[in-house]
Amino acid sequence: MGEVTIMKKRKKFAEEPNFTEKKSYRPEGVKETGLAFIGHEISEDGNVMNQFLHYDQLYTIRHGENSKFFKGLLEGKILGTRCPKCGDIWVPVRTHCWNLNCNLEKTEWLEMPLTAKVHTWTIAGWSGRSSLKRLPIVLVYAVIGNSNVAIANELHDIEPWNVEFGMPLKIVFKPEEERIGAVTDFHFKPADGWEPSPWNKEKERIQKLVEPVYEWVKTLK
Amino acid sequence: MTKKVCVIGGATTPFDYGPTGFESIEGGAAECIRETREDIPDFSMRDIDLMIYSHFSVHFGHQLCSEWIIHDHLGLVGVPQYRIENGGNTGGSALYAAALAVMSGHHDVVGVCGWETMDSVSQSQGSEFIALASDIRYELLVGGIYPIYYAAMANKWMKDNKVTEADVATIGAKNRNNAMDNAKAQWYRNEHKYITVDDVMNSRLISYPIKKYDCCLMSRGVAFLLICSEEYAKKVNPDGYVTIDGIGLSSCTIRAGDRLNFPGWTERYGKNYPGMTEFGACRSSADQAYKMAGIENPLKDIDFGEIHDAFSTSEAQIYKALYLADENNIAQFLRDESTHMHGQIPMNPGGGLMGYGHPVGATGLMSAIECFYQLSDLIPKKHLSKKTEVPDAECGIVNSHAGTGTSISNFIMRRS
Repeated sequence: MGEVTIMKKRKKFAEEPNFTEKKSYRPEGVKETGLAFIGHEISEDGNVMNQFLHYDQLYTIRHGENSKFFKGLLEGKILGTRCPKCGDIWVPVRTHCWNLNCNLEKTEWLEMPLTAKVHTWTIAGWSGRSSLKRLPIVLVYAVIGNSNVAIANELHDIEPWNVEFGMPLKIVFKPEEERIGAVTDFHFKPADGWEPSPWNKEKERIQKLVEPVYEWVKTLK
Repeated sequence: MTKKVCVIGGATTPFDYGPTGFESIEGGAAECIRETREDIPDFSMRDIDLMIYSHFSVHFGHQLCSEWIIHDHLGLVGVPQYRIENGGNTGGSALYAAALAVMSGHHDVVGVCGWETMDSVSQSQGSEFIALASDIRYELLVGGIYPIYYAAMANKWMKDNKVTEADVATIGAKNRNNAMDNAKAQWYRNEHKYITVDDVMNSRLISYPIKKYDCCLMSRGVAFLLICSEEYAKKVNPDGYVTIDGIGLSSCTIRAGDRLNFPGWTERYGKNYPGMTEFGACRSSADQAYKMAGIENPLKDIDFGEIHDAFSTSEAQIYKALYLADENNIAQFLRDESTHMHGQIPMNPGGGLMGYGHPVGATGLMSAIECFYQLSDLIPKKHLSKKTEVPDAECGIVNSHAGTGTSISNFIMRRS
């Protein structure tokens, strides 16, 4: 008798999602090179050496329970969540309630209005490498609808010195074909009919600080 | 009954950025310990029975578990070790862990070693790496990096508290000028100049209302701090040891926008606290440390502090969280230069993050080391003059701070 091989059937603990919609918008020239030493330098006295290491890697962000929010962005919708017990509402979403008395109650999804209000704001004149060319950026933390929290995003169509605490906003999405399912798919704009307050000393100060940023960005390759 | 926790020594490498900062991490750690041994020659490497490593981002070194490289380089095979990571509060959290280890009586002599090598990538890439410690799904993508989050918080805080750009600029100037008395400070080793409030006001916009000289430095650096029981302290450094009489550690949301009415805060401190403007985790960790150390009136009971001045605005916000001033008098408190060397409660005589530097994993330890130097009369030896010595200091506070106030620790230290 030959050896008996027992084939164990792998137990399935969960259904594998069937990913039917797949899209790639990788910019040209982005490559995963893995680890590569690409150069070195040695000081004249021979005492100090530096080496240059390059490393690029593709990551998969698995959104899991949060998926609805990011899929909503592709569809031009802002989805929030609400606790069925205490009624608190969030964008950015929480899939379980933050109130310790609700004992991590699972929240329910709801579509939020495309209106918001500025809670606080800043004008960025410097940023991370991938955002430098978009400077200056007006970044606001705004409360969407009756959310209990504020969300950060850019405010467009305004002179930086005209932003105000509490000003009303509307949410504008990029054209459908440009959306990627990230928060950059939308931005804020001043609500229709909103008018900036008159010129003042603070606005003059901000203008003085911001103008060199416009000039500096022009020099970026 | 818990055991008393003492600090008996510590040192940092010079903090620096770029070509002139060339220590390897394990070489830097060894040099810090050699300097510590010069101050307390009776301390032996053989006495260490636990090492706690303090390191924030593996992105900067591209080496996971780099503490293993340091640990065996120090000859400490067999001695237990682990690493703490808690954003900008990594150093404070490592110190908290070391204090707990000694308090429990389970360990007697604990070395705490921290480092960061932020000059391994460009400044703007470095900013983006740090921003990976914000919620990348919601904040990094919209151009957000830490100075921008802090600017948004500070803008509203300043308006609510009637504090002006010039008021906070005094802090940016103060800490850099203090650093001019400290040869290990990055500001001393690089820009090397005294600056004025006007210099801060005229420096480049980073994110309104924060300018370049309102911001801390990106750094390469290593720090080492020695924590122990009082029995061991009396044996090795009987005249200079310092006691840690109060410790506190607290936490807040990762996204600052989530603090408007978080139930965990409103039930402690009332409606709308901390909002996007106050540091709730600083207040609650100070409450813990003050209670443990018997501090009733912080402004009177504490002589000085080494606190987390990531931005001049956040140093001002921390004063308020520590109860040094309130919304009615914080602006005047700043205008009175209360925290300058000649003020009521000098803050960051060592230069702080804006003057000494901010190699994240080493930063909180640097603050604790400077506090220890003040309380053990080592400032004339460690600084360039007595200008940055707090005369007759008996009690100091050390503060370490992460995220947008996401994790914060406070420590009360006293002269033995």
